[in-house]
Amino acid sequence: MTLDEIRDKILNIADQTIKYAKDLNIPAAEAYVYNLSNTNLTDNKGKIDSRDGLTQGIGLRVAIGKQVGFASCTGFEKETIKSTLKHAHSIAIVSPENPMFNGFVAGTNVAKEGILDPEILHLDSDSMIETCNLMSQEIDLSDTRIVSDSYTVNFSFGGYAVSTTEDCLASSLITSYAANSYFVVTEAGDRKTAGDFVQGREIKSVEGISSNGLKKALNSLGSKAFGGSEVLPTVWEPRESAAFLGFSFINCVSGSSFVEKSNPWGEKLNQQVAVKELTLIDDGQELESEAGRAIDSEGSPKQTTTIIENGLLKTFLFDKMFGEAADQATTGNASRGGFFGGIPYENVPNVGPNKLLIKEVGKNLDQQIGEIDKGILITGTPIGLFTANQITGDFSITTNDAFLIEKGEVVHPLKNISIAGNYFETLNDIRTIGSDREVSGWPIDAPAITYNKHTISD
Amino acid sequence: MENGNIQDLLHKAVEKGENLGVNFIEARYDNLNLTTINYTNEIIKQSSSLSRKGIGIMAYYQGTPGYSYTPELTLEGVKEATIRAAKLAKSTDSRNKIKLDFDSIPAIKEKIEVKVKKHPKDFEFADKLDMLKRGVTAVKEQLEVTTTIGLYGEIYGEKYLVNSEGTELYWVPLMVDIRMGGVVISEGKQSQAFTGWGASTGLEFFEEKETTPEITGTNAGTYCKEQLEAVAAPSGKTKTLVSPQMGGVVVHESFGHLSEADFVVTGQSPIADRVGEELGSEHVTIIDEGVSPYGGLYLPYDDQGIKTGRTVLLEKGILKGYLHNRGTAKKMNSELTGNSRAINFMFNPIVRMKNTYFEKGDLTFEEAVEHVNTGVYAVDMSGGQVGLDGNFMFNCSRGYLIENGEITKPIKNTALSGNILDLLKYVEGGTKEVTIKTGYFGGCGKGGQSGLPVGFGGPDMIMDQVLVGGAQ
Repeated sequence: MTLDEIRDKILNIADQTIKYAKDLNIPAAEAYVYNLSNTNLTDNKGKIDSRDGLTQGIGLRVAIGKQVGFASCTGFEKETIKSTLKHAHSIAIVSPENPMFNGFVAGTNVAKEGILDPEILHLDSDSMIETCNLMSQEIDLSDTRIVSDSYTVNFSFGGYAVSTTEDCLASSLITSYAANSYFVVTEAGDRKTAGDFVQGREIKSVEGISSNGLKKALNSLGSKAFGGSEVLPTVWEPRESAAFLGFSFINCVSGSSFVEKSNPWGEKLNQQVAVKELTLIDDGQELESEAGRAIDSEGSPKQTTTIIENGLLKTFLFDKMFGEAADQATTGNASRGGFFGGIPYENVPNVGPNKLLIKEVGKNLDQQIGEIDKGILITGTPIGLFTANQITGDFSITTNDAFLIEKGEVVHPLKNISIAGNYFETLNDIRTIGSDREVSGWPIDAPAITYNKHTISD
Repeated sequence: MENGNIQDLLHKAVEKGENLGVNFIEARYDNLNLTTINYTNEIIKQSSSLSRKGIGIMAYYQGTPGYSYTPELTLEGVKEATIRAAKLAKSTDSRNKIKLDFDSIPAIKEKIEVKVKKHPKDFEFADKLDMLKRGVTAVKEQLEVTTTIGLYGEIYGEKYLVNSEGTELYWVPLMVDIRMGGVVISEGKQSQAFTGWGASTGLEFFEEKETTPEITGTNAGTYCKEQLEAVAAPSGKTKTLVSPQMGGVVVHESFGHLSEADFVVTGQSPIADRVGEELGSEHVTIIDEGVSPYGGLYLPYDDQGIKTGRTVLLEKGILKGYLHNRGTAKKMNSELTGNSRAINFMFNPIVRMKNTYFEKGDLTFEEAVEHVNTGVYAVDMSGGQVGLDGNFMFNCSRGYLIENGEITKPIKNTALSGNILDLLKYVEGGTKEVTIKTGYFGGCGKGGQSGLPVGFGGPDMIMDQVLVGGAQ
């Protein structure tokens, strides 16, 4: 099946589903039709696991005025769709009114579609094995410090379509490719891990993934204890910088938590929430990333939104319902499945970022390190980022991937340390925002960033 | 589709796979119904009813697995998935260096149905919503909150397994859950609390003394109120009393994952090849169990059709074994433990935990607090993570100072961290009563399969040298 045929298929099913709804005298309905072929291969020290399949289903919202019901089903079987519509309708009948709900997306209006690579449809298990061979050939496995070497290759293609009783009928397709390496190394009782990856909407070269990942792991060996507790500047490599900020931003920039009054920035509109050097945008039209799509998951066109400009909070991100509840238009941020994944068609739309981007400013990572008298360099994603308190901003995280910096030089790797502080305070205490933004694998990309003070303990 | 037809389809898949030259085929069918109600600020933010139905085929060729799944419950769809699974197994075999073939075992033919007093399928949506309303009222009776949150979740359905050995299994998963929460953001004050859990039972669970919506709501409100007055946790290595749910997270996240044999056969786990070694103090015995006398998750069989038993991982500090699927058990010459699990038909079974917990100790709760004397009582958590190096971090969302042998002030949200292989040596005792928690919300994540229901628990455990990470 070609990409065009996939698009035709999902649009046809979405359209047909709304016709079923009308036949059932359902006053208002929305069909979200999802169809994604996925193939995945992992090689953990020579232990191969492979999986493929078609994830396919429909999420159905039905409304009777402001009473809304949702049900979903797997597959596209006609009778199943009809019974799921009836079920969603029965839930709507007994649901109390949602005063915020004001109808489904009306009319068809699309933005630019992201890049599609039809070659991905021709990949198979043989090509994945070949990719794993290429990655593993890059490194010398006779190095006795390597405990395990792992490789993953994943590709997928498909898309979704949205249709409503208000004449919205639109779709968005995706092709995606990802490969990564991951190493566990040990020496003299010291045990470290690291890896590297590529990802995008097109087939990528995997050259350098293994050698870079292994080099990073080996460089972390020989770690020493930090020894005590001290307040110090921290310098974060670009991908770790993105991970650090990502989870906190997701709640703070959300228009749904703003409306629900659980957003700690809820009363900070047009106020300073970060240093003046920080500008944050949400880019639903970054066509090389997975977020670059024609429509969001309720059928509104995606767009680019400036959230923080020179440290001032300018707006929140909205879908249709929460936007209207806040007297704002949607920003094209209806998302299904959320930050932790989940099957999109099994979720109702909620507000989620497309791709958050921190604007690059001045100095690269090496320059930032050079300006530190004593501090900590963070080179791996800390454990515990997802458990930070999103309301108070307090966080306490730990990492085994950090180095001590003294007099502008990286001195030695550190054994496990904890890093504690408060997100909201630290955003107003950034020393430097870097010039070297990288694709992170998170819903946010950031450059290297230096913060003035975090509590470091071991 | 009728049940007989499903069984026929699964048998056809097995026949097809065997004709394709693979050594072994497992065909699984899931028909699961999931209902979730998110009642935020007394509005139904999301109510959903999900039907998750499909077939997954696992093919093994010379110890190399290949997995494919399909939502198409037709002969054509199932045959296509079988062909793909067989192709994956055969085409990836050339690179596979760790062959996990396994010995044949006698076929099992069993149908397990669970009898409960109030099956959620027999109750209306409005009944479930009413429980959330009652819980929210209880939250609001405790303090003036900015946001109230009530969550209800249920999962039930049926699962079939047919394999090349002639096994035919049918069983019915069941889980219900209620969580209540409150958030305060007002005049510079910020606080949040979230509590509750679930059970592998019917709705009668919410009529039990400690798990009514009213009690869960009252607890959420009380904890939220406490957080407004909480003090910063001490920073540094601290003697800590961890509650059953907190200790359960420690044992699950930190030790349990390292004991999963897929990490062991690849050498990724730091406890690989260490059976018989002393890894913890004499007070540490760790169990993984499918059906436990302490409650938790009810899991009679795993997704390879292996009856779940009681696996002793650590006994009085000595490493006794690992958690296995059929392949790793054969590879390591171990007994089957029934730990091969998949979250749904879209995923292949991988080695996962069931109910993992610390065994009981011999202290009363008062004796345990007195033993700590000065430190922290860590009660509730909001997540945790572990690295393959044995380092862990788990977030204590509710805790208290212990001063002069007494529980005193609530502490702010803080991280508790360390390395499990160090920490187990510093366990100084446990109380006499074991509790195991489980739930619809949360769950375990591994290999892209997030939210798998598991159970975790133990008694209140005394641990020294826990790194408590609070800001200065």
